[in-house]
Amino acid sequence: MAVAEPFIAPAPLLGRFRERARSAFAGTPAGGWVAFGAVGLILLVTMLAPVLVPYEPTLPVGKPLTGPSGSNLLGTDEIGRDILSRVLMGMGSSWWGAMAVIASGLLIGGAIGLVAGAAGGFVDGLFMRFTDVFLAMPGAVLAIAVVAAMGPSYTNTLVAIGIVWWPLYARIMRGEVRRLRASPHIEAARLAGAGRIRLAVRHLLPGATPSMLVAASLDVSALVLSLAGLSFLGLGAPAPAPELGAMTARGVTYLFTAWWVPIMPATAVFLLALVANFGGDAIRDRLRDR
Amino acid sequence: MLRVLALRLVAVIPVLLALAGIVFVLQQISPVDPARAIVGEKASREVVDRQREKMGLDDPLPVQYGRYVGHVVTGDLGTSAVTRRPVSTDLGTYVPATVELIVVAFVLAMLLGTLLGVVTASGWRGSGALRFVMIGGSSVPIFLASLLGVIVFYRNLGWLPATGRTGIRDTPDGPTGFLLLDGILNRRFDVTYDAWLHLVLPATCLTLGPAVAIGRVLRSSLQHTLRSDFVRTARSKGLGERAVVLRHALRNSIGPVLSMGGVQIAALFSGVILIEVIFAWPGVGLYTSQAINKGDFTTVAGVTLMLGCLYVIANLVVDLLQAVADPRIRA
Repeated sequence: MAVAEPFIAPAPLLGRFRERARSAFAGTPAGGWVAFGAVGLILLVTMLAPVLVPYEPTLPVGKPLTGPSGSNLLGTDEIGRDILSRVLMGMGSSWWGAMAVIASGLLIGGAIGLVAGAAGGFVDGLFMRFTDVFLAMPGAVLAIAVVAAMGPSYTNTLVAIGIVWWPLYARIMRGEVRRLRASPHIEAARLAGAGRIRLAVRHLLPGATPSMLVAASLDVSALVLSLAGLSFLGLGAPAPAPELGAMTARGVTYLFTAWWVPIMPATAVFLLALVANFGGDAIRDRLRDR
Repeated sequence: MLRVLALRLVAVIPVLLALAGIVFVLQQISPVDPARAIVGEKASREVVDRQREKMGLDDPLPVQYGRYVGHVVTGDLGTSAVTRRPVSTDLGTYVPATVELIVVAFVLAMLLGTLLGVVTASGWRGSGALRFVMIGGSSVPIFLASLLGVIVFYRNLGWLPATGRTGIRDTPDGPTGFLLLDGILNRRFDVTYDAWLHLVLPATCLTLGPAVAIGRVLRSSLQHTLRSDFVRTARSKGLGERAVVLRHALRNSIGPVLSMGGVQIAALFSGVILIEVIFAWPGVGLYTSQAINKGDFTTVAGVTLMLGCLYVIANLVVDLLQAVADPRIRA
């Protein structure tokens, strides 16, 4: 539905930031605020996890395999470690791992797409064929091979996923840049004598940013799930480290005798992905019509 | 149509070469010395060196890459440290189980996705709630869905088996390797029924994410189509809503669904590995996870190449289907 935009007078320089911040969030529906609030809560909890945990996450603190209770809210695992503490720490590594991969994907894919789109011609063809080859391969399977070759560790998992998680961003960036190149303000900038690099960085990049951010925010939940999947297969950080996927995998043995051991960390993955999904939708709704 | 097919086939070659290249580079990076892996941990320096020479590991890298591609093309993927058999032989044993699972899950995903998309796009009662369920569904990690499924349908209700492909010992050996088909072809309907029972839980868990993704794409594509002029014409000539959606709008909205289907095949390929581990499904995924735990990269490399090829073929099929569905792509 088209709503007439009220005319906004150019704000004085000092008020501009506040104005921008306000207009960025104006018109967000209640559901959107709930989603943003949930994302904020996750950020807060994962950052404060080392302070929030009631017990040392890698050491036994009680009897093994006791159910959820007042002293261990989510129960204890097979050697008596507090599951809540481990889940909180695991959520941190899942969430920030996903963020790190997104950032690297945006950087690599964005750079390739920007260069290809801005340069055009032969460079464009070369870069995009390269991207297509990567797009044509099953990313997750490739990531498994990469970690298996380099040896399982948290960093290697992130590197592996990072290697396969950029081609789509390159496509989006290149498409946006090609679209923008035809617009009058780019023509004007070129006529004003802006060089190639200035044109790309100052004039094309800002225009392509919203689409990239939307794509990235919609990807967070898929990344959380992928990282958890690799960790489940034993390709994450080695044993005592609290990782949600690995905790679930090791807990499967106790599925029928102590369900909370595998189900609690798996549910934590679900919560992270759910919040990321709703957050991504809210961000898309905010940025889509610009 | 033939031109499309030829062009797509040619485009596949560089992809496969690049895939082999990546796997080759990974083998170089891998800290495990393949020569030492064969002669054993305690072998002397000379024995290892002789083995390296025998395997040509000291040749220049481009030479090794050429030889590697030659081996792969002729089906020589090395020897698995898990089973002590050639990887290609193992793959022959395990691939049918995995393909059967993936195909069933893909068909389920398409059906379920179409249903979800049509229902939410045509705004039936309760479809608003269904949208939330869909977002929820796409957030469920595959292992959580599987474990909950096992608790409910195996342990509590006892309706479905939770491990393996079949409970029957004397299953027919051929001709296809797919138990569903082999049962029918050999007139052993008990085998087909049992295989189907074993498939339900893993296939459903595997299909959830892709089904929701397809449903969401179809929903937006349908909504777009439903606003177009020819739909208004169809409505104004008095067609019922069902005929408008199913007969007129659906076919014109199917393009994005097919592309999404292609993307979701990748999700099925990674998901199937997790599913096989959880349900002890004797396929490629279980084999891979055993190889990972043993640090056996030769096997992982072989599986990667094989799954990569399957994936490329699957996407080729999707591309061609798209050309069939939408004449504009054939140009």
